[in-house]
Amino acid sequence: MSLLRVCAFTSKRLNTQLLFVDLSFAGCLRTASGAAKDKEPLRKAKTPQGRFDMDDEKPKDPLQKFPDDVNPATKEQGGPRGPEPTRYGDWERKGRCVDF
Amino acid sequence: MAAVCIASRVLTKKVLSSKALPAVSQSSRKLHFSIYGKSNAKVSDGISTQYPVVDHEFDAVVVGAGGAGLRAAFGLSEAGFNTACVTKLFPTRSHTVAAQGGINAALGNMENDDWRWHFYDTVKGSDWLGDQDAIHYMTEQAPHAVVELENFGMPFSRTDDGKIYQRAFGGQSLKYGKGGQAHRCCCVADRTGHSLLHTLYGRSLRYDTSYFVEYFALDLLMEDGECKGVIALCMEDGSIHRFRSKNTVIATGGYGRTYFSCTSAHTSTGDGNAMVTRAGLPCQDLEFVQFHPTGIYGAGCLITEGCRGEGGILINSEGERFMERYAPNAKDLASRDVVSRSITIEIREGRGCGPEKDHAYLQLHHLPPQQLATRLPGISETAMIFAGVDVTKEPIPVLPTVHYNMGGIPTNYKGQVTRSTLVPIFFIHPQVQKGKKCRLGSTVARTSAVPQAFFYCGCLSCSPQVITHTPEEGDKVVPGLFACGEAACASVHGANRLGANSLLDLVVFGRACAHTITDICTPGEKLSPLKPNAGEESVANLDRLRFANGSLRTSEIRLNMQKTMQNHAAVFRTGKVLKEGCDKMDAVYQTLDDIKTFDRGIVWNTDLVETLELQNLMLNAVQTINSAEQRQESRGAHSREDFKDREDEYDYTKPLAGQQRKPIEQHWRKHTLSTVDPKTGKVTLKYRPVIDNSLDAEDCAAVPPAIRSY
Repeated sequence: MSLLRVCAFTSKRLNTQLLFVDLSFAGCLRTASGAAKDKEPLRKAKTPQGRFDMDDEKPKDPLQKFPDDVNPATKEQGGPRGPEPTRYGDWERKGRCVDF
Repeated sequence: MAAVCIASRVLTKKVLSSKALPAVSQSSRKLHFSIYGKSNAKVSDGISTQYPVVDHEFDAVVVGAGGAGLRAAFGLSEAGFNTACVTKLFPTRSHTVAAQGGINAALGNMENDDWRWHFYDTVKGSDWLGDQDAIHYMTEQAPHAVVELENFGMPFSRTDDGKIYQRAFGGQSLKYGKGGQAHRCCCVADRTGHSLLHTLYGRSLRYDTSYFVEYFALDLLMEDGECKGVIALCMEDGSIHRFRSKNTVIATGGYGRTYFSCTSAHTSTGDGNAMVTRAGLPCQDLEFVQFHPTGIYGAGCLITEGCRGEGGILINSEGERFMERYAPNAKDLASRDVVSRSITIEIREGRGCGPEKDHAYLQLHHLPPQQLATRLPGISETAMIFAGVDVTKEPIPVLPTVHYNMGGIPTNYKGQVTRSTLVPIFFIHPQVQKGKKCRLGSTVARTSAVPQAFFYCGCLSCSPQVITHTPEEGDKVVPGLFACGEAACASVHGANRLGANSLLDLVVFGRACAHTITDICTPGEKLSPLKPNAGEESVANLDRLRFANGSLRTSEIRLNMQKTMQNHAAVFRTGKVLKEGCDKMDAVYQTLDDIKTFDRGIVWNTDLVETLELQNLMLNAVQTINSAEQRQESRGAHSREDFKDREDEYDYTKPLAGQQRKPIEQHWRKHTLSTVDPKTGKVTLKYRPVIDNSLDAEDCAAVPPAIRSY
């Protein structure tokens, strides 16, 4: 329970969005009720050592590198990967806009 | 190499000194620390016995080590000046690193291009509030600056034939707006700012600049209206350092953190602006702050407009697609300022989302996930990391976000902070024969006898010196003080900054500062005397904050200020809202007296540093909101609902013939100069005319004002 309180307290102090509190709340609940979940193996925490035991595949980067780093459409060498960042009038990358 | 030096130094000290030092350890670069105490600095008790002060003497001090600061610092070192670079962050951690986009330069690699077209685009983009001589300087030097960066090793992306690849970006046109889209933006994959910073830092290590990293600059040392150096706190060991020098360059960046939602780093706290304000000098055009309509709530990163372009919609707490009411035809694809204002109005009227009802939602889950993944790859990652939402199921919380400050320390086109003497408009001092072409290709306009160290800048000697202004005498330079980068207001961006011009601004004016100082001074000049207790007030302030025992925490006061600014001085500005905001900001400013800090130590006291930063932010915030309240027109990034039109000396919507020119008191095409009394928080505003002449009327004609429409 105190873990919950600490989670809620620190989240409030940091004043981040409510979703974060929800996520951490849910996370805390899940760990607190571990006894009920003995049918599933408990997931090992991702300590530095624990991380190497599991063979998690790295998430694929949504932006693929061009062959030879040359953009086939514009023939740009060494340019940004993925679709053209300026296609919407701003500089877009992975959904984020960078207004430099 | 450095490790070998230290090791050998230690060894030789331990061994009897009769042995000669091996040649490899006799490095010419002095590290800012040395194992047995500071090398050329003296400790004095001049200010206080509790805070012994270490005095350093340099030929030039640069405050801030972002793009502009680094360029100025190593430009000066290259010219032979003994330079110190005082920075509160490690150089490669400055906010310049976050600039992903590119640099505009009229290199002409993709099509025929001319810097005069770039000049026109920038003047138009600034809504005719930019000083045309500074813009002339920047756009003319742009190709040289980019080529110079490339020679330093910056890996720009290339075309097939090996030239720098230039892409199209907003606001850039050919043939003075009539020739279609121009391709001028040079970039390094998608990490131009990062690469720029690393290139400049790497290059700077070739020269003898002394870096004072993690030294927080407290104040300028001003005496008789002249800037004689900087006083700084070393965060690592809590000692106070005074850097005496004849030339101080301020390159501390913007002040995004005055707003609740901003893209800037936590360290963008407007320290340079505040230092200048406390020195009694004015800041210019602080009311012009650029907003982006959809920034993620809490995190502050921006969501691209492409989301709305691909079909995303903005909804309020009632689930209504509110853009239909504000822009019936364009709906969510309306222009940025319309969207920003609509979101703000919805929030103000109580239909905001979330527990505090202070943001809107951007909904994308009605679009097919495959379409999202192909058209906007990576957006689900971004949404999950920064907003914690699954973009295929939940909407993203967004609100208008600050990302750039056009205003700052007023400088002339040479970078000097100005006060009030006339700066001759055609001041050029090339050091070669008139009519000759210099290496950069510009034609020299006049001859002068003074030999110059840098031939390649012989045509235009432009130095960003800080200025102040009086109506009787015009602009006058503040001796010894310079500014460049986002902290300065040269002013090239005027009322609105074009994308890709800010990185250009950094390098051009950073270089310009270095050139001016080279022109005016020589290395090794004797420094004028400074009072032994100079900097006393800064240390007294530091001491007061360190032992502050009021009732409000720094974080609470900061949040109050940020919320007030976000609610009152954001995109939606009307007289009533701004007046309310000014009163609230005044109240928040007064609560600074009631501040409470917790850490009483002096070594790495981040509580103290954050409180100092809060003081700096407050000074910027009060000036911003007061300047915005007074400016009764809509121009560029400052748009008001009650004064929707631009007010110039003539009405440019009608033909000029027969119109009476309005005197400067009756129109708004002028720069705001704001000063604050730090004790009371009262803001005084004055105005300064815009410089409408370019540096050389024959080479590049100035652009007369017109209505700005894209």
